[in-house]
Amino acid sequence: MERTKAAENENIQILLEKAKEGDRLAFKTIITLYQQKVFLLAYSILRNREDAMDIVQETFMRLYQKLDAYEREKNFQAWLLQMTKNLCIDYYRKNYSKRRELESAKSIEELNLAAEDGPNNAASSDLRRIFSRCLEKLTDRQRMIFILKHYNGLQYQEIAQVLNISVGTVKSLHSKAVQNLKNLLSPHLGRES
Amino acid sequence: MSECRRIIENLVAFLCGELGEAEKEKISRHLKTCSLCGQELKRLQQTLQSADSLNPEMEKALASVNWEALSENIVKAVWQIEARPRRLPWRERFQAFAPKLKPAFAGLLLGVLVGALASYLVFRGNFPRENGGKKFFASSDFLDKVDLEIARRETLNYLEKSQYVLLEFAGADTREGKFGSSGLAAEQARELLEKKKFLNPQLEKAQMAKAKEICDQIELLFYELAQISESLTEQQRQEIQNLIEQKKLLLKIRLLKKELQESEA
Repeated sequence: MERTKAAENENIQILLEKAKEGDRLAFKTIITLYQQKVFLLAYSILRNREDAMDIVQETFMRLYQKLDAYEREKNFQAWLLQMTKNLCIDYYRKNYSKRRELESAKSIEELNLAAEDGPNNAASSDLRRIFSRCLEKLTDRQRMIFILKHYNGLQYQEIAQVLNISVGTVKSLHSKAVQNLKNLLSPHLGRES
Repeated sequence: MSECRRIIENLVAFLCGELGEAEKEKISRHLKTCSLCGQELKRLQQTLQSADSLNPEMEKALASVNWEALSENIVKAVWQIEARPRRLPWRERFQAFAPKLKPAFAGLLLGVLVGALASYLVFRGNFPRENGGKKFFASSDFLDKVDLEIARRETLNYLEKSQYVLLEFAGADTREGKFGSSGLAAEQARELLEKKKFLNPQLEKAQMAKAKEICDQIELLFYELAQISESLTEQQRQEIQNLIEQKKLLLKIRLLKKELQESEA
């Protein structure tokens, strides 16, 4: 596993060097390799396909501008996702703060009641909506760690690199995030079971 | 109980496969015996499963994107920006611009030089000259002062030389043969007579009457001295000494010198 990662890192270094020299194909290969991961992170945070695509484009354009700033010893994926996360946060603050305020006015209880009264085939869709709302109730750092762990499939070590915090902090915050989600979801999960 | 607390703290990491083998083994053993921790594990598992409810949505979103087109668009956008002339920081811009400016600077310099030369050639005879082209201007008052100062200095010089000659002569002895035999006194007297000729107009112009009177007396004496032949007799020497003493020439010279020195402009 470690050997595969090292080889992957070596390959990406070669591609980065070529892209730095202006190799268009090398840069396109980098995009192809990482665009879905970047999209997933952006989509998990923003929950909007178009916005996530904008973030993908913005991330790779920024990557090209910052190719000279990349240090070989850094984990490229973590560095790239860190850039994506920062762009998402900026984007979120600019465009989502108002919407979030309005949506937060609706409580999870309202959604639970709606789920109770609705038809059975809508149950999964309601669970998704409830879970989304619960996710938004988490603190920014807890939500980010949860997303990186569950939707981007990153290890604690990689999350620590993306967020620039210690592995211990990641572990503790992730545990708190799951505990909080459990508490927020408990009425609904009780009914489900 | 404290063991349960520690286990619960690590349950999420346990479920996500983030623990080492030893820790995993320890938790597994504990879960077999502790029903409370087992229930907590179940609840956490349910929570994590509910997180999967977002997966279909994400998969749908992932599937809806044309990745090939997106990557191509990004590359195009990046290369379009690259193709645009980059706006350099001001320092780099200045450095980069400098060579471009060189021909412009050279042209400007050449233009200035040609213009200056043409102006000189066209206007060299027509420039108005102030005060009839005189290069030096001074007020008449200042010029009078200068004349007076020159006359004063010339007179002082004349008096000093005369005093020296007269002092030598007054104290000389024919036996020493200093003046009598060499005729040096006559030669010096002639020199001073020549100098007096140039001094006269200056003294008149500066209206230094007193100085002129004394200088005239000295001139008279030197005139006589110059007439004397090279072999000066004791009697002639005595006569001249008497004349110097009678007219108190040395005293007058000293007084006049003092007066002139004090009146320095």
